[in-house]
Amino acid sequence: MNISYNWLKDLVEIDLSPPELARKLTNVGLAVEGIHEFGDDFVFDVDVTSNRGDCLSHLGVSREVAAITNYELRIANYETQKLTTENQPLVSIQDADLCQRFTARIVRNVKIAPSPEWLVKRLEAVGERSINNVADITNFVMHELGQPMHSFDLNKLAENRIVVRRARNGETIKTLDETERELDETMLAICDAEKPVAVAGVMGGLDSSITDETTDVLLEVAYFKRENIRQTSRRLKLSTEASHRFERGVDIENLVRASNRAAGLMCELAGGTAEDFADVYPTKFTPKTIESKDIQFAVKRLTGLEVEAAEILRILAALGIQLSTLNSKLFTSPSWRHDIAIEEDLVEEVARIVGYENIGEELPPAFGAGEYQPTEKRQKDLRKTLANQGFNEAISYSFIDLKHDEVFAAIPNLIGEIVEEKYVSLQDSIIEGAIRMRPSLLSGLLDAVRTNFNHQRRDIKLFELGKVFAASVKEDDLPGERELLAIVVSGNERLEGRAMPSRELDFFDAKGALETATTAINAPRLEFAAKDVKHLRKGQSAEISANGKAVGTIGRLSDEIAQNYKFKQPVFVAEVDLQTLLGEKQQTVLYQPLPVYPSVGRDVSLLVKRGVSFAEIKKAIENENFELLKKIEFVDVYEGKGIADDERSMTIRLEYRSNERTLLEEEVETVHTRILQNLETDLGAKQRF
Amino acid sequence: MSEETKQVEQIRRTFETNFAKFSHLRSEFSGLNLAEAENFQRDLAELKTNHTGKKSEIAGAKKLIGRVAPEERGAFGQLVQTIEKEIVTAIETAESNLKNFISEAKTERERLDVTLPGTRPREGHLHPITLLRQKIEDIFVSLGYAIEDDREIETDYYNFDALNIPEGHPARESQDTFYTTHGFALRSQTSTVQIRAMERRGVPIRIIAPGRVFRRDTPDLTHTPMFHQIEGLCVDKGITMAHLKGTVAEWLRRLFGKDTKIRLRPSYFPFTEPSAEFDFSCFKCNGTGTFETERCRPCKGSGWIELGGSGMVHPNVLKACGVDPQVYSGFAFGFGLERMCSLMYSLDDIRLMFENDVRFLEQFK
Repeated sequence: MNISYNWLKDLVEIDLSPPELARKLTNVGLAVEGIHEFGDDFVFDVDVTSNRGDCLSHLGVSREVAAITNYELRIANYETQKLTTENQPLVSIQDADLCQRFTARIVRNVKIAPSPEWLVKRLEAVGERSINNVADITNFVMHELGQPMHSFDLNKLAENRIVVRRARNGETIKTLDETERELDETMLAICDAEKPVAVAGVMGGLDSSITDETTDVLLEVAYFKRENIRQTSRRLKLSTEASHRFERGVDIENLVRASNRAAGLMCELAGGTAEDFADVYPTKFTPKTIESKDIQFAVKRLTGLEVEAAEILRILAALGIQLSTLNSKLFTSPSWRHDIAIEEDLVEEVARIVGYENIGEELPPAFGAGEYQPTEKRQKDLRKTLANQGFNEAISYSFIDLKHDEVFAAIPNLIGEIVEEKYVSLQDSIIEGAIRMRPSLLSGLLDAVRTNFNHQRRDIKLFELGKVFAASVKEDDLPGERELLAIVVSGNERLEGRAMPSRELDFFDAKGALETATTAINAPRLEFAAKDVKHLRKGQSAEISANGKAVGTIGRLSDEIAQNYKFKQPVFVAEVDLQTLLGEKQQTVLYQPLPVYPSVGRDVSLLVKRGVSFAEIKKAIENENFELLKKIEFVDVYEGKGIADDERSMTIRLEYRSNERTLLEEEVETVHTRILQNLETDLGAKQRF
Repeated sequence: MSEETKQVEQIRRTFETNFAKFSHLRSEFSGLNLAEAENFQRDLAELKTNHTGKKSEIAGAKKLIGRVAPEERGAFGQLVQTIEKEIVTAIETAESNLKNFISEAKTERERLDVTLPGTRPREGHLHPITLLRQKIEDIFVSLGYAIEDDREIETDYYNFDALNIPEGHPARESQDTFYTTHGFALRSQTSTVQIRAMERRGVPIRIIAPGRVFRRDTPDLTHTPMFHQIEGLCVDKGITMAHLKGTVAEWLRRLFGKDTKIRLRPSYFPFTEPSAEFDFSCFKCNGTGTFETERCRPCKGSGWIELGGSGMVHPNVLKACGVDPQVYSGFAFGFGLERMCSLMYSLDDIRLMFENDVRFLEQFK
């Protein structure tokens, strides 16, 4: 908000230079974000927090200045104006719950004309455009005293009177901004005998507004329920200087002064005559009382500041907060301060005027050891391990487009099996279409892949750790949240500092990265089993499990999805339920005595159908439980020339050893032959020479 | 001259003829490549066998001594020995020179360019938000704080009511907060974790809560509808604003250096009373507002960087967590990581944080 230095000086004595004053105001909580010269004046750009509606005027800021400098305010009550009978039929309030006080003043025989130069200058200093004398006066008084007000052309009001009531559903009004607006019964309208002539606290109507022909004015100065004005302003998507102040709360006890001030100026500057005045005030304001048994102690307890009791009382009094004359433990809060209700509020008032810069710097007394979250260290290692393998960390929005629905298979056990609603949705969103809380991290990662492809970065390794969401099974329960890890790899392996890629990345790079990462955090060993997965290409996809629990999927992105993204190179993705994985028992280590006798290794190439996996071969061998067989390792796989299309040759190494003796060639041969025979019988695997 | 002497002289001449092509190897030589040198070495070895071995002519010449007249035997023996020594010396000198040459040539051939890049995968980079979060977490853990996190989708109670933001409060307007179709709120500040942590752990308590938060801000240079906050909370007997100031100053000093100054400015937040915004002296210009004779970028020339909000925990918040505000007091503070990152790295478009452009991510470590 703009505050004029010269204007402030009219209201309180100031012997500080503009920069000094700006610094002091900032220190008490009225942040001055800039000072601009304006002729012989200086204008402060003041950031007023939403609790300080009372500071949205020069009067309000002057009070702060007075509290800082200990000078008196120079503010008149302007009581020179003729007061006529109250509560005459000029005003009737039908909905007193939304309008606590309403004053109306008739000023007759005004001459609408340009404002005098001093008024134009004042308004321009605070960034307001001059319109005409009557309009400028209401604007001026708002900026001076903080009270928004509205002038009607009296002769355009049916029966020349005001009715304050809730609007009827469907009632319309054309507001000053020449917009036709439809009202409803939640909104308060200022009406004449027939129809709304203003949206209370927000904007006046065009038809009853002041024109060059206006001679008689009805000046409205009122107080409306704050929450209702805020609501109406939101509903109409119309925020004005008036609504901004009414929402934050104006001074209900300041209405008459403001009305007098404006009427006085209208007589002075527009040649009017002040006549009838109505003040309808159904619920009288009662000041809030605040109990403080020992305000000096409270200040010290919360801020550490030692402030003399007399100084505390001086500060509070300067801000209008009075100690009760009857009870030394009770303070009353002034009608313009809606934000002061408890002792802590008083403490803040004292502290900010004394100055936060006078508060010391101490560390709290020792307490105990700090703690990371139980899984924090492992997540850190996981991230580091992936980064060491060349993965960059992505962070994507938690809300995604509806078009990703049903594209990706959700992580096992995330979404209930028989729920009607699978996903968590937002009522609306800021980013167009993004109203779904992501059930998978993959959509975000694939968007990232596309972004990078578009920038000619085609060799990609990315990972993300983050939460996904699923609707709860029970209606009233909070949605499910689960922490996942997802990775994506595509393009070529790149070595640091080398221009040429080393080789193409494939399924096993994704798998290997995942295994390295989970090994680094001592998670259970991941097992992979071929399985069709919705978003993955058939024959290149697997389900991942740990300790027999399904925890994720891995594979090459399906051609269909790849096409939608316009990916022209294979993309491999994996997603695992990190939360479950971190919750599983960690791998334990049991020492095995070191081998005493040498082992014998035998490589064997097996011709198998493509449907037979290494895991199956391994399992078939292990099932027999040969005592001398210590290890089965993968050596190589060969497909192509010399091998039928539906077959591959797999070479494995079998390691034999005894804990009691050096093995004889015949002993090994016996077991080895048995194993090969079993493989042929069980899996149709023939030895290839 | 005796027949034998002639014979021996003939051996000498034969050797000299055969050795002629190696003779230049007896002293410093150049102009050979490695393969030629190795050929010479092989041929020389053959020559050595022929001229110095047990079956060589000079070895045979020694047997002639019996045939020489006794008075000439001394001189003859001398001659044979001289010739033999000449042969051996010539060959061995050449051999040794060749060997050195070959060894040097091989070393030269296998010389490495040690400045070529080491063999290693291209480095991956953690997200700048993660890097900053981890740094700050480490500082607070060492100050005795526990790290907490909790739900991202919350009830209105945890997102608002318990934080002293009653219904009708401006901060509660749905224009700031995302709601799910079932009426749950995406947490609009990590202060929700304060409540859950106090419920879980009771007091005294010292925690920080890093996490994602959501607000209905249209993305622009300085706003994104999702961002990360770190919230700190310390509740104990006798906690004052001086502790707040000291703690904020301490962690900022650990992050930006011991000369860092902080200031509190009065402000307003529903969940604290008194409330303050906290600023710290600019890390770039050390609070002078000028960096290398130009207006400092991160602090826009003011010397101060506005970082976050703070204050003494509002008694209503303590009460909501079953803590007696007459007995306990506490401070809380919070700030945005994206904002802090963009200040630290002079980043002018905060939206880059969530685009996952590798060219962006690669700049941080």
